[in-house]
Amino acid sequence: MKKMKKNRNVGIIGVGQSVFSSHREEVNQPEMIHEAVVEALDQAGMTMEDIDCVVHGNMELFEMVHQPDLWHTIGTGAFGRESLRITTGGTTGATLVCAADALVASGLHEVVMAIGFEKLQEGHTTGGITNMADPLWTRKLQTGALTGMTATQVIDEFGEERAKKASMLYRIFMDKHAMKNDKAHRRLGLEFDQADDLAKKSPALVGELRMIHMCSQSDGTCVMIFASEEKARLHCKQPAWIKDHISVHREENFTIFGDALVVSTHRYAAKKLFARNDITDPRKQIDMMEMYDPSSWWGLDWIREFLMLEGDAHIRMVEEGDIAIDGAFPINPSGGVTASNPIGATAMVRVAEAAMQIMGTAGDHQVPKQVNTALASGFGGTMWTVLTLLTREAPEL
Amino acid sequence: MDHKKREYTMTIDTKDCFTIEGKLALPYQYFAGRTGSRFITSLRDNKKIMGLECKHCNKVFVPPRSTCEVCFEDISENWVDLPNTGIVTGFTIVRYEEPHQPVKPPYITALVKLDKADTPFAHIVKGIPLSKMKTGLRVEAVFAKRTTATIMDIDHFRPIKEGPSFKLGYSYDALEVGMSDSFTKTISETDVYLFAGISGDFNPMHMNEEFAKTTPMGTRIAHGALPQCLIAPVLGMKLPGLGTIALEVTTRFKAPTYFGDTITATGEVVEKLPERRWVRMALTFTNQKNELVAEGSALVLPPPSMP
Repeated sequence: MKKMKKNRNVGIIGVGQSVFSSHREEVNQPEMIHEAVVEALDQAGMTMEDIDCVVHGNMELFEMVHQPDLWHTIGTGAFGRESLRITTGGTTGATLVCAADALVASGLHEVVMAIGFEKLQEGHTTGGITNMADPLWTRKLQTGALTGMTATQVIDEFGEERAKKASMLYRIFMDKHAMKNDKAHRRLGLEFDQADDLAKKSPALVGELRMIHMCSQSDGTCVMIFASEEKARLHCKQPAWIKDHISVHREENFTIFGDALVVSTHRYAAKKLFARNDITDPRKQIDMMEMYDPSSWWGLDWIREFLMLEGDAHIRMVEEGDIAIDGAFPINPSGGVTASNPIGATAMVRVAEAAMQIMGTAGDHQVPKQVNTALASGFGGTMWTVLTLLTREAPEL
Repeated sequence: MDHKKREYTMTIDTKDCFTIEGKLALPYQYFAGRTGSRFITSLRDNKKIMGLECKHCNKVFVPPRSTCEVCFEDISENWVDLPNTGIVTGFTIVRYEEPHQPVKPPYITALVKLDKADTPFAHIVKGIPLSKMKTGLRVEAVFAKRTTATIMDIDHFRPIKEGPSFKLGYSYDALEVGMSDSFTKTISETDVYLFAGISGDFNPMHMNEEFAKTTPMGTRIAHGALPQCLIAPVLGMKLPGLGTIALEVTTRFKAPTYFGDTITATGEVVEKLPERRWVRMALTFTNQKNELVAEGSALVLPPPSMP
């Protein structure tokens, strides 16, 4: 495999997150963004004077505000600075990280602030997504992440009882993690003995995808500060270094049922990323993962894809509690996407939370072991995967 | 390589090409937040426009924002009351019609910067002909009769009537010796009777033709003060004009005014009195045969200069 060459190292030195909630009526968009900007600057020990460039991203269609970055200048601090707006959607939050990394690594800027945000309560997400339907391009009516397909597949493969149990177990682990994260949106206080009851009684959305399995719609902002190695070492005792990232996507629809072979962009991305970073045993070489898990069915199923597992290894990881915050391979100590989902920020929160685990700033949801290598995933329509690999040691160039 | 000349398409053929009609209907709402909500509450409950001030650069933002993006400071507690008056800093006239407009076109959308504010905001201006609309127009807020708890609690802005709508006459400084003006009127029998009623002077020499035949004039004549008072419209409405105060009018009668005579009263500036800023005017009263009916002088206090 051809190695890629990075010009210089980039460290994550500050993370700020607004409180995530279904309704943030008390703040408008720039005000909500400002909360996270102030926190990220504080954490990096910086002021806006230190920021060379602001990268801004969300899904414009979701709030129906044209060129939101202009309005948001009131809260972002981008006034008079280099600025860039990104909407891959796709998985915008993760692309923001890629862009910020490239802007610093290239030498264009020393310090870059990336801002991902969404105020989903102000718009109509599914309205925006279903409008992607186009008969000429064979794009069928979509519901974003709201698909029951995976539940059906997991049940087909592992049997109804085991599949449903594992999915609910995964969900309860996520909620237990969210309970440790003050900023998480849904902190339900679920207990394991509720699993069977919830799997039956929670309102069905599509097939066996039920309300309890599904991610929320949240209002929230995530801000990250990226610095060159020199600046990062100056401002931060333990930066989270960006080792590598990869974006994989393909144009297709979700409704290929039957025998059609669907190559998972997740597995493809993982395979390529691991190969070029000499990762042969991801469960050993990587310490934890922040996964973009839109539902606990997908979260369960995607463990197998991201960690390149076979058979029921992923189910066993859940059944045996490996994914718990104090388990062998913690997944989403933050509570993940089923707890908080401000879409344009969600994928960035995955990288931010993974970075916090390396920096040791995750507070109550800090993994109780030293995290040397962390993996973060982003997911977006249509079949769009971004994987980001972070390390405690600055990578060798 | 074959360099044969290529055939380029010169016409557009849309035969058998489909157009797929789409429709985006995306409902949305907008959280005004604490700051925006206070602004609206103040409009709704007190008909008061409030802004936020950056203590660092002294900029006053309307509509309010919780952060000054230049100083990057939290200013969300620095509320200031603002007047309902302001100036138009820019405008456009909307002439096309579409379903989402607040009022029926044509209408004026303007940026209005309130007095004491530093940022303008968009609103509707009414009460001025489209052709007269201009940047720099002074306007005032007109509040809606019924609240909607939105920015439309200000229904629109309208032009402020600046100063009096009439034009004052010549000021002391504007007057020059030699300026003159006049007023002409035909004196009818009705005028004489009305004047008799006003003054109480029912002397039969003005009222009774048979009696008048016995007087030296041999017919009825107008009261002497009737042609004399024709100088009032000159002084008060023409020269110096509106705003003039007459201090003294003296007249010497030279000839009678008969019914049907057309009298011209003329005033001419003859002297400016700088110590009191008064003006002396010579008065002449002539009839249609250019005979001098009366002459005299007036002392007037001209109106103040317009700002």
